[in-house]
Amino acid sequence: MKNVAELRLTRVARPSAIKSLRHAFLAFLTANDVSEDCAADIATAVGEALANSAEHAYGDAPSGTVEVYARVERDSLIVEVADAGVFVERPRREDRGFGLRIIKAVARSVSIDCEGGTRVRMVFDPRFVAQPLEAS
Amino acid sequence: MSDSTTLAVVKMDGELDIGRRAEIRAALAVDGHPSGVLVDFAAVSYADSSAISELLRFRNDLNRRGLPVALLIQSPQFKRLLEYAGVHEAFAVFDERAAALTYLGNAAS
Repeated sequence: MKNVAELRLTRVARPSAIKSLRHAFLAFLTANDVSEDCAADIATAVGEALANSAEHAYGDAPSGTVEVYARVERDSLIVEVADAGVFVERPRREDRGFGLRIIKAVARSVSIDCEGGTRVRMVFDPRFVAQPLEAS
Repeated sequence: MSDSTTLAVVKMDGELDIGRRAEIRAALAVDGHPSGVLVDFAAVSYADSSAISELLRFRNDLNRRGLPVALLIQSPQFKRLLEYAGVHEAFAVFDERAAALTYLGNAAS
């Protein structure tokens, strides 16, 4: 993977804005020669973090933003998705809560910082080939 | 509305993400008494966990009604998403419409 410019994008954190953010991020991956399948999976994981911010960070407040930041560091792709909202731990439901599981299946590592908002930091191998998680 | 001899078909296309959650839920609201449901996502190019959540709600509803459901999915990303979420075994997923219809025919008989 080439050592390329960083990507930093900010949008209002609402569900209708996630598609354009995801497409811009996917274009960044494609411009950096990440293979199609690998880029699709990484964009899926980042899309899950973005969707979580759009759905939960600000409640009914319409003006909060979400930022996606990406940079290449040696053979890793580091992506952070950050908002200034509130991180709420929710009880597990059978039909909800797949986002973090999907991120963990794709990313090499994931960490979540909830100080002054929510910052999800994901590290990817740009040549990544995922192994599906066992169903629970 | 469907009768018990008719297959219900739900068809969506494009990208199924959080911005379309309400649309997905509305599309999956199958009423009546069909013999089964074919969810045709052959023209879907992308999906996220919002689609999974809505599909699970839908599957649970059909299970309660005793109706079989088959998913027609051709997007590699969508198929891998089901695996990453650990729900790939919760659905009957097919690449080809004919195979999905055969499955539904057998399930209904």
